[in-house]
Amino acid sequence: MKKFAVVAVLLVFVGFAFTPAPDRITVKGSDTMVILAQKWAEVYMQSNPSAAIQVTGGGSGTGISALINGATDIANSSRKMKNTEREKLKARYNTLGIEVACAKDGITVYLHPSNKVKELTVKQLGDIFRGEITNWKQVGGADQNIKLYGRENSSGTYVFFQENVVKGDYAPSCQTLPGTAAVVNAVKKDPNAIGYGGAAYAEGIEICKVKKDDNSPGYVASAETIKSNQYPITRYLFMYLRNKPTGAMKTYIDWILSPEGQKLVVETGYFPVK
Amino acid sequence: MKRISLIALVLVSVIFFKANAQEPTTDEKLTEVNDKVNGLLERLATDETDLQKLTKIKVSGYMQAQYQYFENPSIQPNNYFSLRRARVKFTYEMADGVKFVLTPEFVPGNLSVKDAYVVLNDRWSKAFSIWAGKFNRPNYEVEYSSSSRELAERSMVIRTLYPGERAIGAKLEYNPVNIPLHVQFALLNGADGITINNASGVNQNTTENKDFDNYKDIMVRATYNLQLGNFGGLDFGAHGYFGSFKSNALKTLSSDYTTIEDVKFGDAVKRNWVGGEFQLFADLLGGLSVKGEYIAGKNASIGYSPVAAVGTTAATPGVANFQNNFAGYYLYFIKNLGKKNQFAFRYDYYDPNTDITGKDVTIAKYTSADATTLKNRVSGKSDLATSTFGFALHHYFDDNLRISLNYEIVQNEKVGSAGLLTEDYTKADGTKVVKGLDYSNVINQNLLTLRIQAKF
Repeated sequence: MKKFAVVAVLLVFVGFAFTPAPDRITVKGSDTMVILAQKWAEVYMQSNPSAAIQVTGGGSGTGISALINGATDIANSSRKMKNTEREKLKARYNTLGIEVACAKDGITVYLHPSNKVKELTVKQLGDIFRGEITNWKQVGGADQNIKLYGRENSSGTYVFFQENVVKGDYAPSCQTLPGTAAVVNAVKKDPNAIGYGGAAYAEGIEICKVKKDDNSPGYVASAETIKSNQYPITRYLFMYLRNKPTGAMKTYIDWILSPEGQKLVVETGYFPVK
Repeated sequence: MKRISLIALVLVSVIFFKANAQEPTTDEKLTEVNDKVNGLLERLATDETDLQKLTKIKVSGYMQAQYQYFENPSIQPNNYFSLRRARVKFTYEMADGVKFVLTPEFVPGNLSVKDAYVVLNDRWSKAFSIWAGKFNRPNYEVEYSSSSRELAERSMVIRTLYPGERAIGAKLEYNPVNIPLHVQFALLNGADGITINNASGVNQNTTENKDFDNYKDIMVRATYNLQLGNFGGLDFGAHGYFGSFKSNALKTLSSDYTTIEDVKFGDAVKRNWVGGEFQLFADLLGGLSVKGEYIAGKNASIGYSPVAAVGTTAATPGVANFQNNFAGYYLYFIKNLGKKNQFAFRYDYYDPNTDITGKDVTIAKYTSADATTLKNRVSGKSDLATSTFGFALHHYFDDNLRISLNYEIVQNEKVGSAGLLTEDYTKADGTKVVKGLDYSNVINQNLLTLRIQAKF
């Protein structure tokens, strides 16, 4: 009987122990979202001097791994959490995580401004990045070999583009670069290059119009084409948390989803969730 | 004067031209740098291709070192350090959808292969995968990694039904992309980790790299993950095991020791069971989970036939096959204590013979008509149920390092009266205590384990 009493007391004790909300919020993950996350943190800390928010990139996979091992409070991810990652979170923290859709993005296809090709279908993009179309003349361009630039496999953009456009393995010739800015830079310098990444980075390069299929018109990612689902490669950007937010974390998340936070989404080159 | 001017002019010209000859033009410099960069880029591209091949190999693993203190007076020495697990897992993804896994285990005095299998994923629907080799049997607690498990060892019912956790065979998995349903169908040898004695009581099943009989065991498991909004999630499912052993005896004894049936050599001695499971994950007070599983059915052990006397060698009576009806379950409660600590409680119960209660032990027995050809069988310790209360506290230094304190309170089912079922034991000083363990009482089998785990 004594043993049962000890068990009961222990259960009650641990049952009411809970995780206190952190004073300092760490955010880690998607490189696509770094600019946006830093902007949010900067503006929020200006109006809330007691808040301390630290933002770093590394890729969506890196952010989610950090969330699973307790190294970050918020994981930014430009893709949905995978089942295998959710299982790890369950095993370590006994939760399924909280998913907060905080912005929308249109994955933009970058071309060199001198390239004659100005629009491509989703299928053509898939063929190009799988290495089945290797010369620009196959899609109406010059007789030049296509140079592929993409992201590392820890990147959510890499995964999303692979699942929704490439639909197979990337061509071995696709050069992987650490961050969207590096992809944009590489395309800027190479007349035969093609790359992909977040809309917010598309400066100094030609944005390729993307067509759903041969018979559809081509669109570039814009607030209008994304809202109307005309642009074919759109995705949500997410923040993942281990538990339901409380305290300072909740205030910060609520602010991000408020009109003020969503205004910064637009200013940074992304699109609001609503 | 003219001569001096001429010499000076020549000298200046020489110096000027020499200087010009040593300093390349900006264009030349740029070309040189360009060539160097192009050379480096070419080398980088080659290195990157080589590096990409290496990224297909993943190496992970963990090691568990522990100190244990046994309260059971019959266990001597009653405390020691040991290396519980030391595993390195090599995964090679040679292409999208093809994976090889090899996990050797290194513990002092023993090198063994834990996992060795190939997985082929279907590239079209991405829902099916085929496994072949040695892999975990399809069951929640078996498949849950020892490096993540909240109590030091698996519950008793699982340890009994699936010794060594792995089995050799083939498995088909169905994991549809958009439905949180997981179905596993495995065909196994079914003898892995199980003792099959010959007439002299020597285990014949030592290599475990091939089957012991022509019967293949079937294992099926299906689970569904239900998301409960922001509250958490409920995973639930069931599994079943449908297998047989080849009879090496001419008789099979029933679970209650009352009936015996004739069988032939090579007949199938069935062992079938089913179980239901659930795991509830709740985002309450920082996160907690409750997990449970109930399994019941009929297990079997193989006997052997009598061996006739030859010359001076005496006849060996046979042992009947035995089929025992069993039931067992476990229930976990796991709670995070902040980001770095975790508490876990588990109650697990295993009754190896539901047809024999404690008070029936040694009373229920099979007496063969001719004990010179078939041994009598008496119910005993192996028919008693065991319940275990397990407590664990974990501290995670970081993702790689965890220290755990486990305490298990083990309680055996009691027999009807004092002296009915006893055991001798030897104390640390060598003194033998006759009938020192009396199963009419709870034998103290409590166990303390302090374990440190490094994972990479």
